[in-house]
Amino acid sequence: MSKVTMKMNCTDYREALTAEPGLQDESGHAESCADCQAYRDEILALNEKLMAAMEISVPELIMPELPVIDSEKVVDLSSRRVTPRPVWYALAASVLLAAVVFMQMTGTEAIYGTLEEQVLAHVDHEPLALRPSSTPVSDSQLSRAVPQNIASMNHDAGLITYAQSCTISGRVVPHLVIQGAHGPITILLMPEEPVAKATTIDGVNIRGIILPVGNGSIAIIGDREEQLDQVKENVLDSVMWST
Amino acid sequence: MNTSNAVDERRQRFDRLVAVYYMDMFRYAAWLCRDRSIAEEVVQEALLRAWKSLDALRDAAAAKQWLLTIVRRENARYFERRRLETVDIDNLTASQSALLAEASNEELNDLREAIYGLEDDYREPLVLQVLMGYSTNEIAELMGLKQGAVLTRLHRARLKLKEDVADEVNS
Repeated sequence: MSKVTMKMNCTDYREALTAEPGLQDESGHAESCADCQAYRDEILALNEKLMAAMEISVPELIMPELPVIDSEKVVDLSSRRVTPRPVWYALAASVLLAAVVFMQMTGTEAIYGTLEEQVLAHVDHEPLALRPSSTPVSDSQLSRAVPQNIASMNHDAGLITYAQSCTISGRVVPHLVIQGAHGPITILLMPEEPVAKATTIDGVNIRGIILPVGNGSIAIIGDREEQLDQVKENVLDSVMWST
Repeated sequence: MNTSNAVDERRQRFDRLVAVYYMDMFRYAAWLCRDRSIAEEVVQEALLRAWKSLDALRDAAAAKQWLLTIVRRENARYFERRRLETVDIDNLTASQSALLAEASNEELNDLREAIYGLEDDYREPLVLQVLMGYSTNEIAELMGLKQGAVLTRLHRARLKLKEDVADEVNS
């Protein structure tokens, strides 16, 4: 995602935003220009609609008949270059999520991987949630995403710009995004996913933690540069499990 | 590892990749060629090609871009083979129309039609950015363009769609 740090006028800002709605406006232009704020909201709304329009239904996969590969020519996986751990994590997470989605679609009982993998896969597959924004979700939207039978949450965690119900391990979990100093931060409230101790997640561009909270856990994932300690405290102070 | 295990592992690896990226492959193909039936053919060909050259994929992190590049090439091959004429939006086949009128939401269908009507050069980077979540750098790499050209196309594509949406509201 591009960052704009130098001073911009309205024309430059709008041109840049129209090409990249996820633009990080560190120049602060939009904050001081009501017209550009309105324009930004319009472009972001258009982008959401575009995404919905492009997500056409996909027919069931029919695998073509795959030719037999000469076993002598198959490269042994163990001889491959070892990919860095975060890359492996990302692939594993993506694979896992697809398997879960596929199995849910086909009615097959899902097989779940580690919680870290699922959390990463989930973040990876909701890119729209990770747009920089200064528009908070409404109380009603927050209440829908965090129903009373799961937890109560106030706005003290930070500027909440995304709130949806999602699925982790087959259970509905609130998925929230707050805006941090270095971009959006994902928060997953998982009251039924216990972890024995805090687990860190390190990726190429991200850093996160899964914290044990009561009988469940909370995942917090942000930009690699994000200082998560303060975020962690704010989140913990703002959430209370209902069970 | 014996060769039988290596072959089995290769197949498992391929199946996992397909499970993860099949939806992206189909949607990308469908928006490239603007026809569901052709997209299915393109994806079938792309899967075959990916299977044959799977050993060339050394970096797991590059899997999505690798597969989408194969889809892109297969789409180009399909149209080279058939030398199809430009699609007239007022005279679509059933398979082409099916791409546009999927939702009961009229606004979404109008927007699909607007996306459908974009020139290929504008539609493709937009799909890669919005649907595939690619950065302008990644789009530039995949399409063999400079980043500035990608930004220009994205800018023009959105302006065009914005105008189309406004026209639709006003009509």
